[in-house]
Parts: sequence; structure tokens; C-alpha cells
Amino acid sequence: MTGAPLRVALPKGRMMEEALRLFERLGSGIAPEDRESRRLILPSADGRFEFLPVKNVDVPVYVETGVADAGVVGLDVLLERGPDVLHPLDLGFGGCRLAVAAPEGTPYPHLPGGVTPRVASKYPETARRFFAERGLQVDLVHISGSVEIAPLLGLAHWIVDLVQTGRTLAENGLVVLDEVAPSTARLIVNRASHKLRLEEHQRLISQLEEALEGAASGAP
Amino acid sequence: MQSTRIFHVPPGSQDLLPDDVRRRRRIQRAWFELAEEHGYEEVIPPTFEYEEVFTRGGGEGLSARLIRFLDRDGRVVALRADFTSSLARMAATRLVDAPLPLRLSYAGKVYRQEAEGVGRRREAFQLGAELIGHPGPEADVEVLRMAVAFLRRLGIRDFQINLGDIRFIRPLLAGLGPREAERLREAIDRKDRAALADGARELGAPAAVARALVELPELIGRGEVLLRARSLASGAEAEEAIERLRAVDALLTPEEREHVVYDLGEIRGLGYYTGVQFEVFVAGAGRAVGFGGRYDDLLRLYGADRPAVGFALETDALAELLPAEAS
Repeated sequence: MTGAPLRVALPKGRMMEEALRLFERLGSGIAPEDRESRRLILPSADGRFEFLPVKNVDVPVYVETGVADAGVVGLDVLLERGPDVLHPLDLGFGGCRLAVAAPEGTPYPHLPGGVTPRVASKYPETARRFFAERGLQVDLVHISGSVEIAPLLGLAHWIVDLVQTGRTLAENGLVVLDEVAPSTARLIVNRASHKLRLEEHQRLISQLEEALEGAASGAP
Repeated sequence: MQSTRIFHVPPGSQDLLPDDVRRRRRIQRAWFELAEEHGYEEVIPPTFEYEEVFTRGGGEGLSARLIRFLDRDGRVVALRADFTSSLARMAATRLVDAPLPLRLSYAGKVYRQEAEGVGRRREAFQLGAELIGHPGPEADVEVLRMAVAFLRRLGIRDFQINLGDIRFIRPLLAGLGPREAERLREAIDRKDRAALADGARELGAPAAVARALVELPELIGRGEVLLRARSLASGAEAEEAIERLRAVDALLTPEEREHVVYDLGEIRGLGYYTGVQFEVFVAGAGRAVGFGGRYDDLLRLYGADRPAVGFALETDALAELLPAEAS
């Protein structure tokens, strides 16, 4: 309706690379010289989209407030932040899981002597819900990085963190004790933009679906 | 500590300075002018009510956001969180003998608890109208028409009304436990295909229900979507929903129809909606600036069994959107 490009917030890092590859398959890649630039907004070569590279946990904010029309972000972030946005599509990449982990041999789900477990996490909301649903009382410690060292330094008994290959855990002598939730990248869409630019969003969603099906069935 | 505190207002509240007030008053004046032209009379409900007024009809979403305090007699009182709940109480009690249909309008503040950090205020101006005592699609169209006419009068051109009918979805959730129903409701509300497909499979839904659930995110568009939805309707209630939306569509003018998108997955509204319901979106605002719908069972809570339909618009959001020359 407005003719302006759709703005898509992307999480800086590996997930952004995968998302851009997917958009490339729709014919909406970005020019190589733009890819390396530090511009705030990267236009797609065909003018259909503008990509906003932002920190992954901030993607929901940009989309919920309507600064971006859509975004790509892990389900882990959506579970934690609970933004008021649409989640029309599972993009399949960025697969990992949220898990409870601790140094090998740590008791779970109860500590000896009825000690209340301390749990360090970047995902305090998700962790709180997870333990509450199991009727377990824990003390949550919200930290923003290097969660895997928290048990080694005595900050927490357990951690709730993202596990991709499990290598970081293994390097720190940690093992997975419980599964919280699996996660993959999702397409999220601003509610107002979805209605005001309905045809554009419907076209994007069905094209992404097709591209994903093509990839799944082994097409290049 | 105390000395810095008195220089600020609490998060989510705000001072309105002369410019802010001018824009809001201009909108309210235009609103009451239009409402009067349509035969709607202004009422002013109290700023606080017994909390049940909001909790009984508004559903969990509203109950969880009330700003409450204890009254002198120990009863729990809440700041007005929703005009429709208060007006329904008024219409069913003080105005129970007034001739029907009853046409009421209002403008003022609502107060709700909101999380910090996502740009939501805890006090916000709203304006709106309620049409009580008329069950037909003509009444639905009357309030839709007022919302459209009002936005146009404010000089707002690029807007969409997202219109659905909760009766299309209700049969799909019938017979589920509260947890499963809530999970599916959330998946419908988020247009989450993956979660809908998973939900349908895990719940062992009959094939027709599963198909309708998975198709729901796609059942959005202009009038033609109602034809598509009809083949997916599961039972008499869902068919009534489609028939009602078609009747509404037939009553709209071509100009009004340009602003309406039918969305069978529209379930955003408060707990008391029983039929058609809608949200209003304006270009430039990242969130809905208005909502409305039919609440045929709400007045029964106060002993007066009357159909009703109404809508509310967010005055603050409109004030920020007003074309500059018009303010």
C-alpha cells in the first residue's frame, strides 16, 4: 500500500547469515559491498526489503513496536520475552535447545538437605516458568553471559542455557540434566503491519514456505 | 531518596502539557460531535468500581491488569480498566428502564497495569460508543461505520479494521481442557502454523477440525475469504459466524469495505465478546489503536438480558498520529 520496503529485523551473527541466505533464495539478497558495511539499515538488492541488524534479544522489541515490520529470531528469545507479535513461520534453521545443566554428578531435581537450588540463566522468565510447572522452588540468578562458568565459580548449582552442540558444556565439565524447550528460528510479524500490508506479508510468508520446502526436499 | 522521587511521576503515568492536551481535546470534541449526530449520549462512569465489574466479564487478560486497592469496608476496588464493563453495568441497572436501543458514548481514562519497557502506559485516554438492545448486523455495521467515519473525520486515511467472529473458533476449542484451549488460542492469536499443526495432532482432533485449525492463519483477506471459510466451518455456530460476517459485508458501502479485512483468526478481544469482534490499525502506529465487538451476555451478569455491541479507540495513539496541520 505504501510502496516502501518491508523492514526486517535480523539477529546479528550466524542466524543473520542463514536468514540472508534464505532471502537470497527469494531473489532478495543484499549486495556484497553492503554485507560488510556497518550501516544501520541494509537494503536488499531488489528494493523489496530493508534489513535491520540488531542484537538477537532486541529483535522482538523492534517488531512489537512496529519499527520493523517483521523479524527473524530464535524461539528461545520469544519464550523469554513474550512479545505481542505474530509467529507465522518456523524457519527451521538455528536449531538448539534450552536445557538445565550442571557439573557432572550434581543432584537433580533435589539437592541434599533440602537446600534451595540456585539457578543461573540468561533466561530467568523461561526458567521460572519451567521450575514452577514442576513444583520446584529455586532461586534464580539473572546473568547476561558466560553462564556455563556460574556453577564452577559457586554462583549457582544449576544453569538454564542454550545448548547447540554441547561442546561448551563439555569443555566446562557440565552435563545436561533436563530439557526445557527446543528452539529454532522463527519469522515474527508486527500485528499492525500484518493488517496494513497484508498482501506483502502473505506473499513473503508463502515464498519463505516454498523456499524452505525446496530446501527440505533437497533442491539447491 | 525522597527528594528525587517527588520530581518524577511513576513509570507508565505522564503529565500532559498544553500541546498534548490540545490534541486530545480536539479529538474528544470531534468525537462527541460525531456521536451526537448518530444519536449517542455521553455518560461518565465512576473512576473506580468494585473489581468484579471488570473481572466477571473481562476475562483473565483484564483481571490480571487491574490496579486495585482496599476500600474502607475491606472490599476490593479497581480503577476503571474498561469503559464497556462499566457502561454495561450502568445500562443494566440505572438505565434498565430506558427505551431501547440505548446509544451511549464516553471519553476518559482507563488504568491498567502494564510491564515496563515496551512503551505501554498505565493510564490512557480512550473514547468509544455502545449500542445496547439491538441484536442484528445493522447494529454491528452502525458501530463499525462510526469508527470509520470518525477516523476519516480526523483526517486519517490509511487504516484497516480487522474483523472476525469468535463463533467461528469456539467450536474448534470445544471440549478441550483449559490448558489445551489456552495453548490453541495462543497459537491462533499468533497465526503460528507450526503450533496449530502440532496442537491438532497432539489433541487427536477430528480431520475437519484439524484442517480448519491449520488453515486459520490463512483465513484473512477481503470478502472472498468468507466463501473460503464457509467450506471449513465446523457446525452450526461457525456457519452462523460466516453468515453474520457476510451480512455485515453486504451492508457496508464500497468505501467502507476498503477499510475492512476479514480475519477468522481474530480473537484478541476481551473475554466478554460473543460474536463479531474487531481491531483497528492505523499506518504509523505499531499496535492496534482500537477494538470492539458484540457482547450479548455481559448485561445478563447484572440481570438484564440484552444484546450489545460497541467499540473503543485509543485517544493517545490517535493524538500522536494526527496530521500536523490538523492539530
